[in-house]
Amino acid sequence: MNSVGEACTELKREYDQCFNRWFAEKFLKGENAGDPCVQLFKRYQLCVQLLRRKTYPLKDWNSWVPVKEKLKTPPDLV
Amino acid sequence: MKIWSSEHVFGHPWDTVIKAAMRKYPNPMNPCVVGVDVIDRSLDNQGRLHSHRLLSTEWGLPSIVKAILGTSRTLTYIKEHSVVDPVEKKMELCSTNITLTNLVSVDERLVYTPHPENPEKTVLTQEAIISVKGVSLSSYLESLMANTISSNARKGRDALEWVIGKLNTEFEELTSSTRESMKSGMAAASAAEN
Repeated sequence: MNSVGEACTELKREYDQCFNRWFAEKFLKGENAGDPCVQLFKRYQLCVQLLRRKTYPLKDWNSWVPVKEKLKTPPDLV
Repeated sequence: MKIWSSEHVFGHPWDTVIKAAMRKYPNPMNPCVVGVDVIDRSLDNQGRLHSHRLLSTEWGLPSIVKAILGTSRTLTYIKEHSVVDPVEKKMELCSTNITLTNLVSVDERLVYTPHPENPEKTVLTQEAIISVKGVSLSSYLESLMANTISSNARKGRDALEWVIGKLNTEFEELTSSTRESMKSGMAAASAAEN
């Protein structure tokens, strides 16, 4: 699957391969000690960060409000 | 505002479905998803895996809908937060659009759990809340979108079946090529001995 920023696709592929293996063979079997994909993730993320202003529409990377928060009943407006 | 929900049973165990769900894209049933990026991934103190992903998608709005909404933009972005609990065997996925939010919001929630009566099966419950704002015919548009979501949900389930089939084929090819290499290795070894 391509990265949203196409230039990062190869780095993403390398990370995905590592992650998918760890996820299927370790994490789902209850062994999650140690993440072997940290370095690959960092390289991939650096690429994503560099492209973000050009490609990604997010104004604020840090405001990941979970959708469940939105589904809560809003307070009554007075 | 329109609420849509559905429940589906996969004839595969939870682990198999979850592995496929993490590798859902690309697939031929959802050609509209054109890019996926992992923005953040971490384990919480209960051992659950949280992933925040950004998806770029051609929403496939019918052209009449685009005309009513007054937009010619075709690419939309969705943010997705998933939580996988390998002990409780539960995967929860919440997604919402982050573009066109002044016009429409689609919030979806998917939960995968083992079937309570049969561990070889997995239950998917899915719900969506759709709101179209600020234009006339909003409830008509919401119904149209609910139909689109319904057919996309069907495609999404077919997509998981497709990914599961692909993963099984990969596994068979890998074991078969391993067997072939072992056979030729053994043949070469016994020829060398003679």
